[in-house]
Amino acid sequence: MIPAAVVGVGQTHHKTRRRDVSFGGLVREAVFRALDDAQMTMADIDAVVLGKAPDLFEGVMKPELYLSDALGAVGKPMFRVHTAGSVGGTTGIVAASHVQGGKHKTVLAVAFEKQSEGNAQFALGSGKGASLGAGGSFAPFIRSYIHRSGAPEHIGWKVAVKDRQNALKNPYAHLKIEDISIEKVKSSPMMWEPIRFLESCPSSDGACAVVITDEEGARGRTPAWILGASSRSEPPAFPGRDPVRPLACLTCATDVYQQAGITRPREQIDMAELYVPFSWHEPMWLEAHFLAEEGDGWKLTDAGDTEIGGSMPINCSGGVLSSNPIGASGLLRFAEAALQVRGAAGEHQVDGCRTALGMAYGANSQYFSMWVVADSLQPFG
Amino acid sequence: MVRFTESTITFPYTRSLGPVVGAFMTALTEKRILGIRNGEQVICPPMEWDPSTGAELPRDLVEVGPAGTVDSWTWVPEPTEQHPLDRPFAFAFVRLDGASTPLLHAVDASSPDAMSDGMRVAPRWKGQRIGHLTDIACFVPGEEPQVDGDDLGPAAEPVQMMDYLARITYRNPVPPSSDLVVDASRQHRLVGFRCPGCGKTYVGGRGVCPIDSVEFGEEHLVELPHTGTITNHVVITPVQYPGQTETEPFARVFVLLDGSDAVLGYQPVIELPVEDVAVGVRVSAVWASPGEESDEGGGMGGAFGSLIGWMPNGEPPVDDPDLVNRIF
Repeated sequence: MIPAAVVGVGQTHHKTRRRDVSFGGLVREAVFRALDDAQMTMADIDAVVLGKAPDLFEGVMKPELYLSDALGAVGKPMFRVHTAGSVGGTTGIVAASHVQGGKHKTVLAVAFEKQSEGNAQFALGSGKGASLGAGGSFAPFIRSYIHRSGAPEHIGWKVAVKDRQNALKNPYAHLKIEDISIEKVKSSPMMWEPIRFLESCPSSDGACAVVITDEEGARGRTPAWILGASSRSEPPAFPGRDPVRPLACLTCATDVYQQAGITRPREQIDMAELYVPFSWHEPMWLEAHFLAEEGDGWKLTDAGDTEIGGSMPINCSGGVLSSNPIGASGLLRFAEAALQVRGAAGEHQVDGCRTALGMAYGANSQYFSMWVVADSLQPFG
Repeated sequence: MVRFTESTITFPYTRSLGPVVGAFMTALTEKRILGIRNGEQVICPPMEWDPSTGAELPRDLVEVGPAGTVDSWTWVPEPTEQHPLDRPFAFAFVRLDGASTPLLHAVDASSPDAMSDGMRVAPRWKGQRIGHLTDIACFVPGEEPQVDGDDLGPAAEPVQMMDYLARITYRNPVPPSSDLVVDASRQHRLVGFRCPGCGKTYVGGRGVCPIDSVEFGEEHLVELPHTGTITNHVVITPVQYPGQTETEPFARVFVLLDGSDAVLGYQPVIELPVEDVAVGVRVSAVWASPGEESDEGGGMGGAFGSLIGWMPNGEPPVDDPDLVNRIF
């Protein structure tokens, strides 16, 4: 397989509403930032991959056609990716695969959402009444996790505070809650017991783009080498399905680690951006990604290990809890992992970060996408 | 013979137009049509970027038209309600005077014989203009713009947003298993399907075993008990959106049927206040009164047919630490 690297990362300032820009204007903000970061222009791009949440979110059918000229894709291959909330991650993986397979030299991955122009509850309920929304779907899974791990209730509050504090260090993050505190989180309204309002992700408008190229293209640039990229799925419901440790998640993590040569993820991964739309997903996903022993994920959170400066920093960007342009959220995780190993994460940089995991999941916890990036092709010697 | 059900969903989306299309829409309310310079060319309707290279365009907007020339056209003999005119008309590429690219719009002509490539057309403006492409009701043969009814003048503020009412009607096939489940529920029977592969029992008309991909039919039917235990639950505070049916917090529960491995997902509860919903509560099926039945097949969870939900049956709660994990 041809080595591929992220050499450019761009994103918008994520906000509740971006009424000043069209869809095209929004994605172009992220694209030009990524191209500038890569010291490239649209002419250097050989193919474009676009991801966003299902069309019902904004009511644009085939946005890949509508946006092809805005993305400079006229006369070039253009692809659309569809994997619900994990789509941003899968978009990065599809773009990487074109380079790794030798089909294209330099590929632009773009993902976006303009949640303000539709309604997520409507879309998640397929346009019918009594939509559960994402929180309603995941609350039972979280109850199951809390029950079996015995985690105390303050763990969810701690994650919410930590990710919002990280967001204060990220100029692009949507939520900036200066006075965030345990007290504030625990006194916020209960939305979907046991999930409180401040333990939940916002609705955001935003976009993210990354430029992926081969070894020659990476020369003279700052690469985040893609050591492994994997996606897995499973049906939404079947007897014996465990949404706390979904099989698709376990096998995806196992595969991506194997590709990357990772045998001891807890030691070999310096930071991870996990898709945490509700605070309790942090300890749950630590365990389902083998970053903690089963039942111990919450102990890492409780000990402060998942803070910037801790032994296993998680979501240094502020995560989905701080910015959630759904279609872009997965690519933002992948992009933050790349920024970290490129040493380009600014105030939320983890010192000495050489290897990072980016992860996204979607639908009823049934699509998983992950990549491992590193500052060299042989980070483990 | 596969049966189909028809559904329609609608949603009032909004669109932020951005600086260039916003200016174009604002000008339409003033009965002016704008294009944007791209080198020697004038693109109309205007775009923010060069459509062939993606390069940003200088914001050099110029007025074009109002009359123009038909480059090409097609006749619409039977307009639907989604078409701009309620009588037969032509869709045409109209190259407005001064523009290099054509604008797609309707031409109100009496018949296809009145249409030709190269013919001259002019806009017929709506009297009330809101900043939408349909502020031009259509084009009409000739050189002179027209206005429908009283001219109510331009928009008071620059147009930045557009409403977009999306509507789609689609037909879904109903799996035979769904009809079997709904028919049984009419007789207040709860039936499931046992997969001959994995031996698991499935409730609701999802049609196939998700593990073995066996398509369910009458031969897989099993009768199920009408009592069970709540394994997990969620209480939703409803957000209002078009099509929302709920106004108060409502519960959805997972019910493990007695003597079965079947869990019914996302079930409504009846006569069980949301604060009393808990793991281990014993419940019984509640059947619809005449007129309350639905045709829902329960393929994606939820109530179905004449089963409208579950209510506490007074039995002592079940204390089983593994119950909460039985979500599926």
